[in-house]
This record gives sequence, C-alpha cells and structure tokens, in this order.
Amino acid sequence: MGATLSGLEYGTNGSGMGPGLGDIPESCVACVFLYLTPPEICNLARLNRAFRGAASSDSVWERKLPPNYQDLLDLLPPERYQNLSKKDIFALLSHPVPFDHGNKEVWLDRVTGRVCMAISARGMAITGIEDRRYWNWVSTEESRFHIVAYLQQIWWFEVDGVVKFPFPADIYTLSFRLHLGRFSKRLGRRVCTFEHTHGWDIKPVRLDFSTSDGQVASSQCCLDDTEHDNHKRGCWIDYKVGEFIVSDSEPATEVKFSMKQIDCTHSKGGLCVDSVFIIPTDLKNKKEEGF
Amino acid sequence: MSSSSSPMQSTGRKLKLKSKDDETFEVEEAVAVKSQIFKYMVEDGVSNGPIPLPNVNGKTLARVLQWCQKHADPTITEDELNKYDAGFIDVDQAVLYDLLMAANYLNIEELLKLACMRVADMIKGKSPDEIRRTFNIKNDFTPEEEEEVRKENAWALGP
Repeated sequence: MGATLSGLEYGTNGSGMGPGLGDIPESCVACVFLYLTPPEICNLARLNRAFRGAASSDSVWERKLPPNYQDLLDLLPPERYQNLSKKDIFALLSHPVPFDHGNKEVWLDRVTGRVCMAISARGMAITGIEDRRYWNWVSTEESRFHIVAYLQQIWWFEVDGVVKFPFPADIYTLSFRLHLGRFSKRLGRRVCTFEHTHGWDIKPVRLDFSTSDGQVASSQCCLDDTEHDNHKRGCWIDYKVGEFIVSDSEPATEVKFSMKQIDCTHSKGGLCVDSVFIIPTDLKNKKEEGF
Repeated sequence: MSSSSSPMQSTGRKLKLKSKDDETFEVEEAVAVKSQIFKYMVEDGVSNGPIPLPNVNGKTLARVLQWCQKHADPTITEDELNKYDAGFIDVDQAVLYDLLMAANYLNIEELLKLACMRVADMIKGKSPDEIRRTFNIKNDFTPEEEEEVRKENAWALGP
C-alpha cells in the first residue's frame, strides 16, 4: 500500500467511507491536470504536500507551455531561466518579456499558455514624430510601456511598424490601441480634454497589416463621431485590423502594420497612440478592454 | 449476470471475464478490445478460460462493458455518443472513483479521459478548502508551509 494524494493510506480515507477521489494514483492525477488550467493547477498545489508535488511536475507544465517556449526564453539572459522547473518557466513567461530595446513585450496568457504581444508606439515609425508641433511623447501609467505618442495636429497621419517573431501556431488578432483626447489626473481624478481633437470624423482612418506569408487585412473607420452620443472620446479603444493564421512557429512570422489618414485636405489631431496588440483571437474575444 | 447481447449481428468470438467478486461476463472481442489489455490478449491469442480481473468489481465491470459496447457500435453518431458519455459520467464520487480506477487498470484511454475530465470539472472554481471537503483530502501542511505554497503560487492568481 502506498501513499496517495489524499495524504492517507491507500484504501482508507479516515471517514470509513472507502477510497475516494483523493486516493487516485499520481498517474491519473497527471491525466486530470491535462484538463485544468495553470491557475487551477496552482490552486491544487495548495491542498496538501502530495498535491504540491504532483502540481509541480515537469511533465504537467511542459504541456502547458507552447512548443517553442525556448524562443521566448532566448529573449532573456540564460541565468534567468537556467535551473528553473517547467512550472517556474511558465510563471516567468507569464510576465511580460521585453525585447527590441523594451519597445516590444511578449508573454504567455496565464490561463491558456498562448502567446500575446504588445508593440509600443516607441517601436513604430511615426511620420513627423520628431516635430513637436505635431507629436509629443507623454509619460503615463495608462500604457504598459509607460509612454504614449500624443498627436496635436498633422495633415499626413501615418504610423507604421513591423515585428518578426516565431509565433506558435494559432489565429491572432492585430489591433491598435488609441485614445481620442488628452488625459491627465487632477486632484486624483482622471480628466480628459479635447482641445486638439478634430478631423477624425471627416474621413476614416485606414488600418492595415500584411504577413510574410501573404496574409493581409484592412479596415477603415472614423475615429470620432461628433454627431451622435459620442462614446469614442475619452477612453482607450482597441481598433481591430483583422486576423492572421500561423501554422508553425518556424519560420518566424513577420507582420507589417500601419495606420494612415493621409488626405491632406484636412488636418487631424488630439489623439493618443499607445500600442499595437497581437493576441490570439479566442483570448481577445474573452477579455475585457483595458491593458 | 452476463453482458447484454450486442445489437449488431455478431460473428466475433467472445471473451470471458471474471470480476474480483467472482461475477462472470461474456463480451464480444470487438467490444473488449477498447481495453488495450484485452487488445493485446486477443492479438496474442490468449484467453481460453475466464480472464480474472482482481482489481475490478462486478458492478463497475458491468458499467465499463456497457460503455465499451456503446463506443464499439458503428451505427452510433458522435452527437449521440457525446450525450451518452455526459449521462454516463454523471455519477457520484464513489462510482466515479471506481470507473476511473478500472479505466486506468484496463487501459481504456477514452474512458479514462472522460473520467479525468469529470474530476477536473468537479475541481474547477473551488477553493482549496472546498476541494478538500469535496474529495475528503487531508491538509498536512504546517502553517508555515501553507503560507509558503500560497506565496509560490500567487503569480497564477493575480491580474
């Protein structure tokens, strides 16, 4: 008779009821773990010593990590992950891993283990960014990169970016995170001003991306709506461009994306550009806005 | 008690099984081979007398064989099978435990999967305390250990 996960002798459970589900052998527990998410497994680790052990097993966590998790680890110095168990590696990668001089971040979704990415405006090519009459950088806690690009006004509005990364097989949604109006904190309260916000209701902004294997998507929309009840101002909105499919992490997928409104008959302004997100479509549909 | 006859015209041979409490069962080979154990026996040409199964009682074996029969039926649709499985596994803990152990012992992959998924469902959404109560699991952590484990798993819970 051996010890089981209930912490009791095999075949008894102390209440005289006969063996119960706390008595299933460790191999079966590993099977159960296949159907639990990482947070649920971590929850089970808190039951007793035996569950703590079973919930830390490398074979369990290897299956929660994406197959090419080493590609994410490669973004970190080896001493950060050298002697870690697979569970600790998952924990490590579930926090944002910066790359490209901190202009990009990649992480594993804690629940599903799928790869998510954010690209800062800092890592994009913004036409006129060096001219303070047009654009300014604004530090803010409302961005995961702690900085956003604020457009005062311009005629040629163009923001371009590119990322090349071994995304694991999945379907991803690419979106731009934008905010109409400028925001600040006054006496602890969030305040928005729209002194520069103009031009977005005249013609739509065009959002595009294309991938190295020929997938493309495009969408158009007016960022502002001055006629009706305006829900577009004063909050962060994710503007979805479209979806792309990755069938294998090799070769690495390159995605070029852009946002344009280059009709120079009218100027536009009063907009914050935070980042681009590349998130598995399933996850995106479940999550609430606000990163 | 012998297993109910298969709905299909059977020309296959039958296997004789004996549970740990001495109940005997006759089952079509085509049904029995859902279990990898029996599959190997059939392939190796073994089994004249009844095969003893000292780890499975008659009640459980009957259930398992019913499941195997349903899953060996070529006329059943995937939808019907899913409905059947949902009803089949909706049992109390004691029965679920017996089914899980039997599926493990007899190496019936699909049934083991079904039972494990059910256990997973019973775990989801419960706090460690609730899980302990549900499954009658003893907490053998010292208070220091408990705090340690809570801390080392905190990363999974926060936003």
